[in-house]
Amino acid sequence: MTQIQIPSGMRDLTNEACCAKEDLRKRITEVYKSYGYRPVETPLIEFYSTYQNTFTSLKEETLYKFVDESGQLLVLRTDMTLPIARLVAGKYSLDEIPLRFCYCSNVYKVRQNFAGKRNEVTDCGIELIGLDDASDLEVLCCALDVMAQLGVDHYTLEIGSSAFFRKACAQSGLSDAEIAMLADYIDRKEIPALKACVDTMNLDEKKALFFKKLPLCGGKDALSLAKDLCFSESLSEEIENLIVLKNTLEELGYEDHVTFDLGKVPHLDYYTGIIFEGYVTGIGTSVLSGGRYDALLSKLGRDLPAIGFGVKLDYLLESAEAKQEKVRKLYYPRAKAAEAMKKARELRKDGAVEMIPWEADTMEVIG
Amino acid sequence: MSLSVALTKGRLEKETVAMLEACGYGTERLKNKGRALVFPDTKKDIRYFLVKANDCITYVEHGVADIGVVGKDTLMEGGKDYYEMLDLKIGRCRFIVAGLANANPLEKSGHIRIGSKYPNVALDYFHSKGRDIEVIKIDGSVELAPVLGLTDGIVDIMETGATLKENGLVVYDTAAELSARVIVNKASFKMKRDEIMAFINDLERMVEHAEEN
Repeated sequence: MTQIQIPSGMRDLTNEACCAKEDLRKRITEVYKSYGYRPVETPLIEFYSTYQNTFTSLKEETLYKFVDESGQLLVLRTDMTLPIARLVAGKYSLDEIPLRFCYCSNVYKVRQNFAGKRNEVTDCGIELIGLDDASDLEVLCCALDVMAQLGVDHYTLEIGSSAFFRKACAQSGLSDAEIAMLADYIDRKEIPALKACVDTMNLDEKKALFFKKLPLCGGKDALSLAKDLCFSESLSEEIENLIVLKNTLEELGYEDHVTFDLGKVPHLDYYTGIIFEGYVTGIGTSVLSGGRYDALLSKLGRDLPAIGFGVKLDYLLESAEAKQEKVRKLYYPRAKAAEAMKKARELRKDGAVEMIPWEADTMEVIG
Repeated sequence: MSLSVALTKGRLEKETVAMLEACGYGTERLKNKGRALVFPDTKKDIRYFLVKANDCITYVEHGVADIGVVGKDTLMEGGKDYYEMLDLKIGRCRFIVAGLANANPLEKSGHIRIGSKYPNVALDYFHSKGRDIEVIKIDGSVELAPVLGLTDGIVDIMETGATLKENGLVVYDTAAELSARVIVNKASFKMKRDEIMAFINDLERMVEHAEEN
């Protein structure tokens, strides 16, 4: 039997999609370059142990694994943040910080079969390493400038705070298992289960209300809603900082595209500060995601704060329009190949030419 | 902005539509379906479509539907890439563990085989009890499996318990309480928050109203 299928979750990109993707990549990368980010590339394959040692809650079933010739377990990279953190720890240890890197690389995750999901996507993003949360604003502006380049009418960057939730948990004396359970319910806005779960925890009224209401602390009044829920001075301070951030973004002219959601608490083993995701009309998933991860690099032996984000190019292809370059056709007699090549060389000075031999005696340019 | 709502066909359909009607939504077309697949609301900027439970999750995860109404049983077995925002408290039933009389699968030592239409739910439940089991996927009349000796027990949905009783099966435990839930696409929630919250708040008032009576 002939083998014409591709593995589950993979896509071939036809010519139009390829052009649209390349166009998108160029526009996004231009923004990154203008903020001073420089490109890096890392191998598609990493050691399994690099991921295992760094992530406590690694989802085994989502990794593509295989074995090398010496029996070492390998994986296809699932993201670009870890490879770049590894690169910084191992190859940039003598360089001056901050480091600013951008990338555009394919990343891999095994996802549900027959559900229309992609296992291979191109992630186009940045990592800023060595600066603390004073640089959050700069990175958010960069993300917003990138979203303005996506060619969509409506887009929103939604900002949350991992630190706000962590502080509330620490001040409520919750165990790690309880925190993980709460984070999961809150992040998925699984409100019925969250309410039942909070009721089993020995929390006073104010704290119980805080966790029950957190998933709905979003929209236009997110920060004032969150402010009312705060049960300590330091929680209120976190919100004050976010209000300052919001006002600054407004002052810079981004007000129509920024919202907050304090119920956004994904990947607690990874994010330590602000978290953000970008959404555009008509696409059912976030197209940009990122946040501050100040604890990651220390796991690789280099204690540096860091923040980054990436845009998943493939999700945007459906709404992107390809600008096809016009290609002229030069038909030429087989006996005059060299002459035709010279003519084509001339013609290529003003655009693409493809050559096609034919049986006639004359040369002709069409298109 | 207009909303797309995927409703689950069958058992939940009638109760869901009744709830929407009580909220003041224009459900005439949903009640007189004919051969149509998509039903515009006659009062609000909403279109409904009726789908099978599993497909409801798929449509919501892709954002083709902004909102879905689907049973917790299907949610427990399927993916998790959506917000689960409201318990409608209709279509109530339970996931139960059952077996033949005097043969509680939870008390069996050695290899345990469980028949179920919901393999993940069965595995998760027994795992939470510290038991390693083998699940055999059964698509219909799950009660038959222990009766014929294929499995030591079953994990299945129970409404009244009549079928179990008739086949001589005993309920040994409740694995979960089930009811219809409102799920929401994550990106839709960001882009159409006001419309979606209005829809959820309307339904939530109905749930509270029903509980008071």
